[in-house]
Amino acid sequence: MVHTALEATNAVVTLDVALPGIVWGWIITMNMWAKSIGTGVIFLLFYLLKKYPDAAENLRFPVTVVSLVFIHIFLFFTVIDLHQMFRFWHIFFHPHWTSAITVGAWIVTIMVLVLFGMAFASFIKKDNKLFDKLLGWAVVLAVPVTLYTAAIMAESTARELWQMPTEAVQMLLAATLAGSATMILLGEKLPYEAKRDLGIVLGMSALIAFIVYMSELVFGPMKAEEVMATLEFVKGDGEYATMFWIGQTMAFIAPMVLVWLSVANKSVSLLKLAAILALAGLWITKHVWLVIPQLLNMS
Amino acid sequence: MQLGFLVDLHLCMGCKGCEIACKVENEVPLSTWRLRVKYVDVGTFPETKRTFTPLRCNHCANAPCERICPVSALHYIDNGIVNIDKERCIGCAGCVMACPYGAIYIDPQTQTADKCTYCAHRIASSMMPACVVACPVQANIFGDLDDKTSNISKYIMENQGDVQVRKPEKGTDPHHFYVGGGNVTLNPLASFRAEGHSLFNELKHLPIGGHH
Repeated sequence: MVHTALEATNAVVTLDVALPGIVWGWIITMNMWAKSIGTGVIFLLFYLLKKYPDAAENLRFPVTVVSLVFIHIFLFFTVIDLHQMFRFWHIFFHPHWTSAITVGAWIVTIMVLVLFGMAFASFIKKDNKLFDKLLGWAVVLAVPVTLYTAAIMAESTARELWQMPTEAVQMLLAATLAGSATMILLGEKLPYEAKRDLGIVLGMSALIAFIVYMSELVFGPMKAEEVMATLEFVKGDGEYATMFWIGQTMAFIAPMVLVWLSVANKSVSLLKLAAILALAGLWITKHVWLVIPQLLNMS
Repeated sequence: MQLGFLVDLHLCMGCKGCEIACKVENEVPLSTWRLRVKYVDVGTFPETKRTFTPLRCNHCANAPCERICPVSALHYIDNGIVNIDKERCIGCAGCVMACPYGAIYIDPQTQTADKCTYCAHRIASSMMPACVVACPVQANIFGDLDDKTSNISKYIMENQGDVQVRKPEKGTDPHHFYVGGGNVTLNPLASFRAEGHSLFNELKHLPIGGHH
């Protein structure tokens, strides 16, 4: 990178191979985004059933379906990103347990089974007790399902920007942000208090995620040369600077303000607007963070 | 036995013989590279110097690619080589993301990960890697790091103050060393990288049904 090269040596690459380009692109962004919704709604359903059992009773089946749909969108994009997608079964028959990819694939598989069990309990058996028991397991499983992409990023030794535990925190916040936003849009019949709670979860998730991103933006370059070089892509007139700030504004800044205004004015419309912006902004934010370390030359 | 490589950059003259030998021996497709020689020019005219750095897989003892591979397609063999089973690879590209040296690529023909294997197939027949054979100045020194009497061990001993690895801060414990290296040759962030200095261009695919 230009800014770390010494003027004194004036070292210039005069013949080399082309940069490999972006290997994990928008398909992986879709993967992370859909997974955040799929796991996030499970967290928020669990909360609503504990705090507002009567009002949230009818959400059991629709939220399970939404979770199943988004977990399958996530799995679909995971598989189509493979260059040899028809060898996906190798993960189950030749598992390598030091890989977060393997561990994650197995846990997601178990979670999908639990979600189907929840759908069976609520739609066919109409057994809320069984559903709630399975929901507890789904919540437990949703944590590692949410976190394992962060573990993959942490195992990507080459990409200095993706650090643990920062990525783990960001994945959890993405789940609570996306989950609360989706529940705001789904929970039309919920009482205002429940919607306000969802709004507060959305606003707090946005606030903390924004603080973490800004901390990385300011302090990351002070620790590692590669992080400094990577973040140049989102600073000043960097290639992804505009997209980065659009993402930050839509995912975090605007929802924070809108949630605050909606709580102050008891406005559900503002809450819905915050939810839509947060979901769209999260995709953009995740995409920028995924792509920029791949623009750096490794050798 | 732990096989390793050492490149004496004082000797390398950038002939790219190793690159070509590697391409031929391993049938590496166009636009991809198991081994390449990077040219970096240093200084301002007339006080300039051209440096040459052969870059290949480091066969790290603590290899991030082996750790992240979900199906053990990347695996160690007894002599320390990080080998790849292309039939098992699912093409997730986790290894591409994990390798701090940019040494792994997706083979456009097989759609699986690939990289330098220190010519494991040749070593199995007690032959030197193709790049070692091709080097006209014997800048590539290859051998057993566990054997104190091997050429590579002796070379490391004789050049103790001048032996380096790439990105030691990553903790990968590379089995690939350089003598005569420096920040410019071993740190990719220490040089300007203008567009238009690439081997081959970006015209990879035939446009179908349209003008080019």
